[in-house]
Amino acid sequence: MGMIKYFTNIVSGFWNLMVGLSVTIGYFFKGTTTVQYPEERLPLPARSRSMIKLIYDGEKDQFNCVACLMCMKACPNNCIKLEGVRQADGKRRMTTFKLDFSTCIFCGYCVEACGFDALTFVSEEYENAVYKRGSLLQDEQAMKWIRPIQPANQEVLK
Amino acid sequence: MTDLLLSQVKAGGEFQFGADEYIVNLGPQHPATHGVLRLIVKLDGETIKETTPILGYLHRSIEKICENRTYPQCITYTDRVDYVSAMSVNLAFALATEKLMNIEAPSRAQWLRMIFVELQRLASHLLWMGAFAGDIGALTPFLYGLRERERIMDLFEMTCGQRLTYNYIRIGGVMIDILPDFVPKCRAFLDYFQPKIDEYEDLLSYNPIFLERTKGVGIITPEVGIDAGVCGPTLRGSGIACDVRKQQSYLYYDQVQFNECIETAGDCWSRYKVRMNEMRESVSIIRQSLERLEPGPIEAKMPPILKAPVNSEIYSRIESSRGEMGVYLVGDGTAKPWKAKFRCASFNNLYVLDQLTRGWKIADIMSVLGSFDLIVPEVDR
Amino acid sequence: MMFTGENIVQIVSDFLHWIYSQLGISSLAGVIDPIIAAVVMFLFIAVFVMFLVWMERKVSAHMQSRIGPNRVGPMGLFQTVADAIKLTIKEDIKPVHRDKIPYFIAPIVTFVATFMGMVVIPFDKGMVVQDLNVGILYIIAITGFTVIAILTAGWSSNNKFALLGGFRSAAQIISYEVPLVLSVVPIIMMTGTLSLTGIVEYQRQAGYWFIFPQIIAFIIFITSATAEANRAPFDIPEAESELIGGFHTEYSGVKFAMFFLGEYIAVVVSSSVAVTLFFGGWLPLSFLSFLHIPGFIWFLGKLLLVIYLIMAFRWTFPRLRVDQLMDFGWKVLIPVSILNILLTAAVWLLLYGKKAL
Repeated sequence: MGMIKYFTNIVSGFWNLMVGLSVTIGYFFKGTTTVQYPEERLPLPARSRSMIKLIYDGEKDQFNCVACLMCMKACPNNCIKLEGVRQADGKRRMTTFKLDFSTCIFCGYCVEACGFDALTFVSEEYENAVYKRGSLLQDEQAMKWIRPIQPANQEVLK
Repeated sequence: MTDLLLSQVKAGGEFQFGADEYIVNLGPQHPATHGVLRLIVKLDGETIKETTPILGYLHRSIEKICENRTYPQCITYTDRVDYVSAMSVNLAFALATEKLMNIEAPSRAQWLRMIFVELQRLASHLLWMGAFAGDIGALTPFLYGLRERERIMDLFEMTCGQRLTYNYIRIGGVMIDILPDFVPKCRAFLDYFQPKIDEYEDLLSYNPIFLERTKGVGIITPEVGIDAGVCGPTLRGSGIACDVRKQQSYLYYDQVQFNECIETAGDCWSRYKVRMNEMRESVSIIRQSLERLEPGPIEAKMPPILKAPVNSEIYSRIESSRGEMGVYLVGDGTAKPWKAKFRCASFNNLYVLDQLTRGWKIADIMSVLGSFDLIVPEVDR
Repeated sequence: MMFTGENIVQIVSDFLHWIYSQLGISSLAGVIDPIIAAVVMFLFIAVFVMFLVWMERKVSAHMQSRIGPNRVGPMGLFQTVADAIKLTIKEDIKPVHRDKIPYFIAPIVTFVATFMGMVVIPFDKGMVVQDLNVGILYIIAITGFTVIAILTAGWSSNNKFALLGGFRSAAQIISYEVPLVLSVVPIIMMTGTLSLTGIVEYQRQAGYWFIFPQIIAFIIFITSATAEANRAPFDIPEAESELIGGFHTEYSGVKFAMFFLGEYIAVVVSSSVAVTLFFGGWLPLSFLSFLHIPGFIWFLGKLLLVIYLIMAFRWTFPRLRVDQLMDFGWKVLIPVSILNILLTAAVWLLLYGKKAL
């Protein structure tokens, strides 16, 4: 009968509305999942592709980079410009290294292509907002990073 | 030319208005979270007479750019073709290139690819659920969906370092092996997540208001769907079995048990139900894949510079979160593709919007558009 | 002397009359007393509405697993003050071809009309601005004012979308007034009085609150009240993801603030009426009456619970389409409320016989 269906529709509709309300009101009493940045920060995983740094060897007092240009060829966006010279003892060393972070997509190809452990991702530095776009074109002094002594079982991307 | 409706373009550019009709712009900026899609709607009071989508606001010439990049470099651009489910597009391109160059990825890589693509499907459907409910008016499931998505993205970040544009699935395998604590964390996430799907269904599925907004609205009949090239969950809501994972299995989908989710009514509610069921199936696939993982290499032996054979072409397709994602590659003997084309599900699905909404009200455009799971970067590339 | 609402009113009234006698204007006491009561009520409601805006944001945030405002002031309590200041210093953009006087009057009428409804709400025995003996009728009549204001706002904006939004909004409010009135009728039948204080007194004498026999009426009342206030799930006229912005599209700054706050005041008025009719107004829960908590604290507590329920509606349910909304109002709510009246009358006759008529 149409009447009975009308009333059962109303009752079942009302019941389903109450079930939905119970879900939302239930969440009202559970905790929040917000991390209140900047007072609380979550540590990023070790493999996080946050900021690219040039590794500087503190003992030998030079950058690891030998200007083999593999990173420059690997980059999809031509962000890297680099030059090197052949030094007196026959080894190549890098003289200038510029990476334009405004076009970098943090794909990681440069870090993977480097065979000399010269480039790495540093997961602690991810707050890279600047006031002027020009400051995103970083040279080797801005990207200098000395690798901290790590325990043997910690893993990084490269 | 872009300001005219399709019917006017066909009629030679003349404005032909009936009585009481007016044109309204559902502009590129609107709070519905689909992206920059512009719809020109011809209305009579509140009834829709015609809808024309205007595309191109997010066109970034990815296909043209790929012609000047080597095959591995193209993978970084595929992340951006559909940034909500980037792993799927990575996979589509990687599979196409592997077929073109006859490379076979090792089995551990294939299992890992399956796990990540299914996790990506979960993440994409969660965002879809939030956007769909938000368009209809329930603003809370959006936050719930994003909360679960954060956990999935934590799993991704643990493995490859990024949360949105992964560049993880490479030609010949995957980028890097998973960490030892990935498997227990993934299992813990799945155990946490599985009851949540039921909870979100409690909130939405049988809610009488939701049913009124979506049942019977935007019915795609099977003939219209197949004629227009609709694919994916949008077509499975109309009863047609079109899952590429079952039809032309890739990776190891023929070795895991999962059901193809099909509903027969063809309206927005069926498409919603199909996607919720797909989330459950994905959870089951991930569990089975986690058990079948064995140690082994993660990348095939390949020449250092990948070159396609001369005069070769391939069209390869996978089932991404939205439907059939196809990649068409033409190789010319060099390290860069001569042509790369992406066949994206959203672009083809958008075509039926006009036919579905004629005679309905404005509020139904939102329901139908939401049920298509449209992502504008995929439409425009 | 116990700390009850009655005593507070008595003390304040004595103090005021002493001041009048000092100033020599005792004869004007009947005129100045209601004015002062109205001003106190106005200030209280103004502060309460600011609190409510904060409460809505916090409640919605916690339902969505996030923290709401928590930076401006302790726990974000001054967030509404910051929003009010922002709205006040905003540029008042007016359409050039508007109808000037109606455009100016519409938000004022909305604001004032909803405030006028608070005049008869008893916070405690005797704590009411003016206890009219046609209280319920007065409130229902006042809520009809908002229809005129909305139509005026839509028309004077010189914007066809605002006009359409205004029409839809007005149609919605008019159609949901019928179930609002019909759901209150059984209560009036049971108590025999229209005065709100009288209804609470009846509940005190009867010993039970009207929520128990009239649960259906409560549900219909709450649903109609959310529709009257243009709140979700009935907020198609002002929904953000819809095409038409609604009657307040062309308003900015303080005028928009008046519409916005007017919506919250409508919620407060409807919830106060619901608390008075169904939950016993200022009456304590009988097993907790030994705590001697003053009546207005009970009233405010119950009011906050009902307002919480209305807020939960907004953040849980999707939106109804306009024609579905009208269908629901006319085809579901009105028949059920009429049936409720018949049922109440039948049960009343059965229980008490002809002598109760």
